[in-house]
Amino acid sequence: MTGLIREIRFLASDRAALLWLGIALLVACMSVFLGLREIAAQRAELNELIEIDRTEREVVDALYQDWGEVAYYTFHLTWDSPSDFAFAALGQRDTSPWKHHIRALALEGQIYETDAENPDFALIGRFDFAFAANLLAPLLLILLLHDLRSAERTAGRYEWLSATAASRGSPWFARAVLRVGALALCLIVPLWAGGLPGGAGASTLVAASLVVVLHIAFWWGVCALVDRFGWSSPVNLTALVGAWLALAVIVPAAIRISVEAAVPLPDGGDILLTQREAVNDAWDLPKSATMDPFVERHPEWADYTEISQSFEWKWYYAFQQVGDQTVEPLSRAYREGRIGRDRLAGRLAWLSPPALAERALQAIAGTNMAASLAYEQRVRDYHAALRTYYYPRLFRDEAVSDASIGQRPEFHAMGD
Amino acid sequence: MMSMLLAQALSVVRSGQQVLKDVSFSIAQGEVHALLGGNGAGKSTTLLTFLGFLEPVSGSVHVQGRYVSENVSAARQAIAYLPEAATLYGHLNAYENLRYFLSLAGTDTNRRALDEALDRVALQAVARGMRMHTYSKGMRQKVAIAMAILREAPILLLDEPTSGLDPVAIDEFNRLVRDLAEAGRTILLVTHDVYGACHVADRIDLLHKGELVGAFDRPPGMDRIDTEAVHGAFAKYAGA
Repeated sequence: MTGLIREIRFLASDRAALLWLGIALLVACMSVFLGLREIAAQRAELNELIEIDRTEREVVDALYQDWGEVAYYTFHLTWDSPSDFAFAALGQRDTSPWKHHIRALALEGQIYETDAENPDFALIGRFDFAFAANLLAPLLLILLLHDLRSAERTAGRYEWLSATAASRGSPWFARAVLRVGALALCLIVPLWAGGLPGGAGASTLVAASLVVVLHIAFWWGVCALVDRFGWSSPVNLTALVGAWLALAVIVPAAIRISVEAAVPLPDGGDILLTQREAVNDAWDLPKSATMDPFVERHPEWADYTEISQSFEWKWYYAFQQVGDQTVEPLSRAYREGRIGRDRLAGRLAWLSPPALAERALQAIAGTNMAASLAYEQRVRDYHAALRTYYYPRLFRDEAVSDASIGQRPEFHAMGD
Repeated sequence: MMSMLLAQALSVVRSGQQVLKDVSFSIAQGEVHALLGGNGAGKSTTLLTFLGFLEPVSGSVHVQGRYVSENVSAARQAIAYLPEAATLYGHLNAYENLRYFLSLAGTDTNRRALDEALDRVALQAVARGMRMHTYSKGMRQKVAIAMAILREAPILLLDEPTSGLDPVAIDEFNRLVRDLAEAGRTILLVTHDVYGACHVADRIDLLHKGELVGAFDRPPGMDRIDTEAVHGAFAKYAGA
């Protein structure tokens, strides 16, 4: 305890260490603030869209008396609400759509036509807590620890300090613990200060703090390893920054390239184009070219497939569905490929602790690929429910009624 | 009488070079022992071996009768070490530096004890609260010597302790060393200052290229070792 107090006093007089710790605190506060602001903006946008969506549907429902028109003109908002911890690791919410405006038309095109709002941000990633803790914090730790012993060697104090401290343990461990602990606090305190009022549970924050501490502990180990070689401070710094560059930048980039090469993925644009071509071509094909494959999938409507006029809504919705059926293999391969890439990236992330920590924080925040795919599945399920709702009314040519519209499925986001 | 410091046929190799060859000496309690020699003679290596930083390739070193290699911690606990050109923390003042190092050693001190030690090394009172990066080399050395005094360890290893001190301060330091020895402290100092060593030491061992090449004892009843004899031997080897 005496040693710790002594080193706290010593640290308090070390301007360079205080500067790095101050920067860590500032970076953590900024990242938490920006993350909270982004999530607040997403929530506000969602609240506004949900209200607009409800109003629009009420207007459309009153305008049309034909199920084909009702289904055609009625949009349905689907969304993935951010978790209370999403502010810390925006993850896939930067690069994958978290809201859609869908209709009972062909789905695949609707799912994949929504892109990230700002491709520039998608490229570099946002300045969130995960970025600060996983990429910047190791650099600051390196600056705090790289010359712990080597600076003393250069100053000619190393043997003196070691000989003096012999009976009371090494000062190096206490100094390192203090710097590592102070850095961890500079990161974790703003996280809790931002997370608790925002509704993030204590268990969530504990889990995220554990990830941060383990990640920092890894880099402490790297610093200690380099320190054992007894190099000078500039050589230590070069070696450690090199290790950071390798583990935080080069290895993740190599992982991404390897994963993309190992797990080929159909282009999302191809799905969109193929599906649109299938839908557009249907206008010029015999009606049987649409209704036959449709009935294969929906034999319950086999008795309602006669199309006597040049345009009938049931035929229109049938070829929308056949459009989806046409791209099903591509779409399935795309989804399975994304899952495969994510799995492989998860295994390879063990080669890069910053990437591993990033994935862990995204998993805690519910902003990882699994969460994104789960949302996409909820959109598919909801779209399937809409078809199940509309098809009997379209094929039996039922009259539109308020009671029937009242039975239309509503989308419910997870956690809402 | 048990030796406080004992080197037995000590040989040490550093970076592939043999820097100590078959060196033996013994120092009793209350004795001031000087290792005299030019640059690269192996003086500082001898001190670092007693502190357990270097392992002998043959022979052994003992502190208070204990084999250093088997208990480095106990050896260091018994020793107050003053390195050559001791660099204290520039961003701390004299008191803060002393408190930091003494806390490392587990020695409790108060402001009065610090001032007494700083008085003994004649560091001006006005300088004590100033950051040490403003100190001259001699002032820094005085604080380092005060630290060695405050450690209250039975053995002092002093590496070129008068380096940077002015003649008056050197004279005061020599008197201080004698006082400490009379109080029972055992002192091993390494130096290339022939005059100072002759005035302060009970015995001088002359080291040359890692070997003991001469030994000079203070004659009974005399206040110093024969300076001319030591100087002659030193000059002979310095020119070799």
